[in-house]
Amino acid sequence: MARGQAGKSGGLRWSRLAVGAGVLGVALLCDLYLADFVHDSSIRQLFMLAACNVLVASSLNVINGMAGQFSIGHAGFVGLGGYTSAVIASNLHEMLGGGEPTFARSFIVVPVCLLASATLAGIFGFLVGLPSLRLRGDYLAIVTLGFAEIFRLVIATAQAGEDGSPIARALSRLGGQNGYMGIDNQGIPLYAGPFWVFGLAFVLGVVAWRIKFSGWGRALRALREDEIAAAAVGVDPTRYKVTSFVIAAVGAGVAGGLMAIMRDGTPIVNPDNYNFQASFDAITMVILGGSGSVTGAAIGGVFITFSIKAIEQVQATSAVQALRREFESLDLNALRMIVYALVLVLLMVVRPEGLLGERELFQKRRGGRGGSGPDAPRAGAKAEAA
Amino acid sequence: MRVAHPTRASLALADGAPLLELTDVKVSYGGIKALKGVDLRVFPGEIVAMIGANGAGKTTTLKSIMGLVPLAGGAVKLAGRPLAQDTTEQRVAEGISLAPEGRAIFPNLTVLENLELGAYLHRDAKAMKETLEDVTELFPRLGERMKQEGGTLSGGEQQMLAIGRALMARPRLLLLDEPSLGIAPKLVQQIFRAIAEIARSGVTILLVEQNTRIALSTSQRAYVLRTGEIALEGDAKELASNPEIQAAYLGG
Ligand SMILES: Nc1ncnc2c1ncn2[C@@H]1O[C@H](COP(=O)(O)OP(=O)(O)O)[C@@H](O)[C@H]1O
Ligand SMILES: [Mg+2]
Repeated sequence: MARGQAGKSGGLRWSRLAVGAGVLGVALLCDLYLADFVHDSSIRQLFMLAACNVLVASSLNVINGMAGQFSIGHAGFVGLGGYTSAVIASNLHEMLGGGEPTFARSFIVVPVCLLASATLAGIFGFLVGLPSLRLRGDYLAIVTLGFAEIFRLVIATAQAGEDGSPIARALSRLGGQNGYMGIDNQGIPLYAGPFWVFGLAFVLGVVAWRIKFSGWGRALRALREDEIAAAAVGVDPTRYKVTSFVIAAVGAGVAGGLMAIMRDGTPIVNPDNYNFQASFDAITMVILGGSGSVTGAAIGGVFITFSIKAIEQVQATSAVQALRREFESLDLNALRMIVYALVLVLLMVVRPEGLLGERELFQKRRGGRGGSGPDAPRAGAKAEAA
Repeated sequence: MRVAHPTRASLALADGAPLLELTDVKVSYGGIKALKGVDLRVFPGEIVAMIGANGAGKTTTLKSIMGLVPLAGGAVKLAGRPLAQDTTEQRVAEGISLAPEGRAIFPNLTVLENLELGAYLHRDAKAMKETLEDVTELFPRLGERMKQEGGTLSGGEQQMLAIGRALMARPRLLLLDEPSLGIAPKLVQQIFRAIAEIARSGVTILLVEQNTRIALSTSQRAYVLRTGEIALEGDAKELASNPEIQAAYLGG
């Protein structure tokens, strides 16, 4: 039996490698040829945005879904990652001699940017995670919101000019309320093509999946279900809570970095991209898909991205534009929040656990790791015989 | 059953010294004094019962041993060593394990995952597999339901799971918080037979119960806790025939 299992898991490993290589290959092909097939850049942007939002949702899922805490300031980490990558990409681009952002050069620029984004966001994730040791529920939520708003306001209110402390001067170059548009307002060089965006969405999605079903993820879920019982088996709540914040922040930093330097995206990052509405969208993605479910978060991320786009399309139709001339205050984007709120309320009534609950698509056995533990029926039979 | 044998915590104990010793332990929740100075000793190999009415402070006593509540005074010692500086995780590693009150299992995790988490602090695969076999032998009902979510078990089965999970840590000292609470009498019998067997394998047990009759018949010594203080202590059989106990806890 043992050999059969080893053979099976060996085969599994190869097929997994093949799937991974296949996905990366497809991402590479997309990078090279997507523009030839999909001529409309706004559609290309939409697909890549969806992949980024999958990252946003699956990172928030680590805190709100797996760890059972409640962060309502995820956009803060996304923004931190976004600004970091935007600034570094612009400077690196300048150092490399400007010109067109080529695919070859992206292998220098994108990793550097994303590493910096991940690190900075991770550090702030640690700082924001610390209060989670003493605060619970709504109090912790307020801390996370506070962080996100402080981040946004510090950038938005930075005054242009070359006086004041070095920090003030550095901040002033970020463009304040108008947003950051690269060096000399040339625009941020958009280095991250579909290869990076789809590839990373896939790889980090797999990482999230592994986290959930690792011993670490199991301890995290245990902590969420019963803190005393978890402590009683030796799970250290402190370490897990803070680490989950760091992991989520790192994921958000990468997502934000990718969005900021995404090919076919806008060459500008703006503090308003990271307001409370963005955090709320991220929460909606997680809740819609099912808190704790990795595939659910991915579905939520894609769905919200497309529905935002759909609402924009409706907004742009001539009928709505005509209506707008009548009623100036008509803003479908604001209506969107109402629609989401209604969807969420409805979901809470009909299916409170979200689309998938905590379950996963493509999941064969729950948490089954081959060969751990005795064969259940046999153990029972043995005990009866004894 | 081998549950007790290869413990990680090998505690050096002088002959006749208690494994667990509480001296003048005080705990308050805000202004409420839940424990007003509890003295208690558990010797190696014993089953010691602590009985008392609802709200007497039994759960609080166990929490103070696990380091889940801060002490307002007094000391908890394991094998002569004060635990004041130790976190809950360290206490688990040192050989104390708790099956919490109210079958506090992880309802959305499978039975197997629940049990594996019990061995969280020592993930030696071989030792874990052995202990798993011991636990399924002790509670065959669990063995038959490994892939089922904990929350779908019956009350009695959940209690078995809580005890099994506590055993997975291979404790020297097992703390049980009201294992009979809200469970069908037939399963209560089974669970207490298992408790006796666990003790025979060398695990020392502190058993907290409201069900005085079964607690006194399973244990060797017992303490009676009344509003945060030890009111009586002694041999379990003697306490069972004590008129005061009979009137107050055994229904005449
Ligand atoms: N977390 C808490 N906060 C405040 N008071 C508590 C808390 N836990 C227990 N108490 C109080 O402490 C006393 C002892 O409770 P407990 O140890 O749970 O008793 P028992 O387990 O014997 O029923 C009770 O009066 C109870 O109300
Ligand atoms: Mg109690």
